[in-house]
Amino acid sequence: MAHIAPEIFNGLILGAFYAVVAIGLSLIMNLTGTINMAHGSFMTLAGYLAFALIGAGTNYWYALAIAPLIAVVIGILMERTMIRPLYRRDPVYSLLLTFGISLIAEEAFRLIWGPNGVPFSPPKVLSGSISLGFTTFPVYRLFIAGALVVIIIALVIFLQHTRYGLRLRAAVQDREMISALGTNTQLLYMINFGLGILIAGIAGVLAAGMLSLNPQSGNSLLMPAFVTVIVGGMGSLYGAIVGGLLIGLAISLTTLYLPAASEISMYVIMAVVLLVRPRGLFGEEGIFG
Amino acid sequence: MTDFKVDRKTFLTTAAIASAGAAAGFPTILRSTASAKDVIKIGLDYEYTGVYAAYAQSETRGAMMAMDAWNARGGVMGGTRVTTVSEDNDNNPGIAVEKARKLVNVDKCAALMGSINSSVSLAVSGAANAMNILYIDSGGHADAVTGADCKYSTFRTCHSTWMETHATGFSLGKKFGKKWYLITPDYAFGHALDAGYRDVAKKIGATIVGDDLTPLGTTDFSPYLTKVLGAKPDLLLVLVQGDDFVNCLKQAHEFGLVGKIPIGGPQVELEAVWALPEAARVGFWGVEWYYKGANVLGTNNKLATNFVNEYRKKYHTPPTARSAFGYITMDRLLWGINQAKSTNAAKIAHALAGAKFQTIFEGTTYYRAADHQLMWPMWLGGIRAKGTPQDKYDVFDIVDRQEPDSIEQSIAEKAKVCKMVWP
Repeated sequence: MAHIAPEIFNGLILGAFYAVVAIGLSLIMNLTGTINMAHGSFMTLAGYLAFALIGAGTNYWYALAIAPLIAVVIGILMERTMIRPLYRRDPVYSLLLTFGISLIAEEAFRLIWGPNGVPFSPPKVLSGSISLGFTTFPVYRLFIAGALVVIIIALVIFLQHTRYGLRLRAAVQDREMISALGTNTQLLYMINFGLGILIAGIAGVLAAGMLSLNPQSGNSLLMPAFVTVIVGGMGSLYGAIVGGLLIGLAISLTTLYLPAASEISMYVIMAVVLLVRPRGLFGEEGIFG
Repeated sequence: MTDFKVDRKTFLTTAAIASAGAAAGFPTILRSTASAKDVIKIGLDYEYTGVYAAYAQSETRGAMMAMDAWNARGGVMGGTRVTTVSEDNDNNPGIAVEKARKLVNVDKCAALMGSINSSVSLAVSGAANAMNILYIDSGGHADAVTGADCKYSTFRTCHSTWMETHATGFSLGKKFGKKWYLITPDYAFGHALDAGYRDVAKKIGATIVGDDLTPLGTTDFSPYLTKVLGAKPDLLLVLVQGDDFVNCLKQAHEFGLVGKIPIGGPQVELEAVWALPEAARVGFWGVEWYYKGANVLGTNNKLATNFVNEYRKKYHTPPTARSAFGYITMDRLLWGINQAKSTNAAKIAHALAGAKFQTIFEGTTYYRAADHQLMWPMWLGGIRAKGTPQDKYDVFDIVDRQEPDSIEQSIAEKAKVCKMVWP
């Protein structure tokens, strides 16, 4: 029993991570119908940019802020020039496009930074571990947990309590109507895409401190995020949070008792949810209702 | 106006299409081709994408240097130039077999070499044998390649898992204690290492207090590491490799395990150590080849020093053990073809088996005729986190050398499992 408490805690942090990545995916998917297979590449990109910035002498905290913003600029350029013309086509087109972009990005990372991973580590103030009473836990993971909570709260406030958030949610319900009422929907799409990439970028820099940073590292986090979207229910912010936590807990606890089945546990949950409640746990029409 | 939204069905369908695309190993990487008839093509079937991509690149670089050296000397069989065709097997045995067939049947490669993942090596070994093509497994370590699944047409350059575990297990047990915890990759390579360490444990009276099988590509090792902390072993044996190794060591440091529990293992790749932050560069490991040191390269081995110098000049990093595997494999493959004066697999195999040679390490070596395993020493090293002031890449402090006959199973033991059938 002594092992369970730390595993639950660890699973919740892992789950919050999946939830944040899933929210970024959902934002883009719900408004524009784009299944962004390059989402993981933007996580990797932000990680590498932070590594480059720190290598050039930049403070970690500035790198954490600047790298995701550079990723956003690149993301918006991609959205304007390549994804935008596909908005009115079947989602398969944008899926194939972003899948291709992710492959190109992976090769580009390999060319620029090499196929080896690069040694990225968090700042000294976040290294080491502290006692929580029931377990000793890394300071960096606690920092990540705090950062993820802040991101989720900020998103909830933004989407539920600001005019822009209201427009976003309205656009998901009826794009033509909101356009007819004078909202610049193209600008809305662009900002929404940038917001999704910003979240991916922050998650990418945070992940680089605890995981290997290599050309395919972001893509390895993408599949749990997709599963989170399906389990939580498409279009639901709270679904993404609950789905992420559920997946994180399942992986963590399965590892404790049946390590070889840890990877498959999330797919079992997805299969059960699809059988019992095909729309996902919190799935409903509309975005983040 | 058509307006598309993503519903659950569309999402699942399109995600399935994408997964299928990824599983098919797209894109195929065709690195070089040759059309002239008077060239011999060697097929390289490697994991150019995925967790072992860095190792595949190192092995390919080593192989290219050996090929260039042969071409500079006029090629093989009295003037036939050599070229390569490379294919990405996507770290997938099924795709690797398809690529092997394509390399032989479409590209007309005379022989094959690769790979990193032992499951891939075993699969390609079987496919090459069915096509009567010679295959040298440059970097897949599982015992079965030169053991239960040995083939007349398959040779192996890197060490077997038995050699790795028996070169390190006795020393690690003596140095750190006999209560071991294993973190093991859940595929052929990991299972073979596991069996090797269990054999050593039995011989020295060590206890295995924990043994977790981890799926290949695991990103979060924290659940395993908290179990290790709870079990309080004398030694944590990390058997995972590639990016998994980096994640495991990085998180072991994060969880405060480094410094509390000694860490070691059967092998460590330089590529992985270089990808670790300095604080996580710890442990005592098996080393399959190193680019420095008289007890590895010898004191007057011009071939070895030229290889190291040329490699550094060309690629701006030192060669790794993987580079050495690639170099030795290609060099011997071409020597075998040249000696046999044929690309017939049986003739090359007869030429290679038992032939003694000197190469880029100190001493004489040979592919053992009984099982086609390259019999060469292994070294033991501790990690020097910061490298040296002159060379930041120089992270190993080599402390010992184990001779091959003392770490590999005897011919009599191998004969019980390896039944080679010749055409």
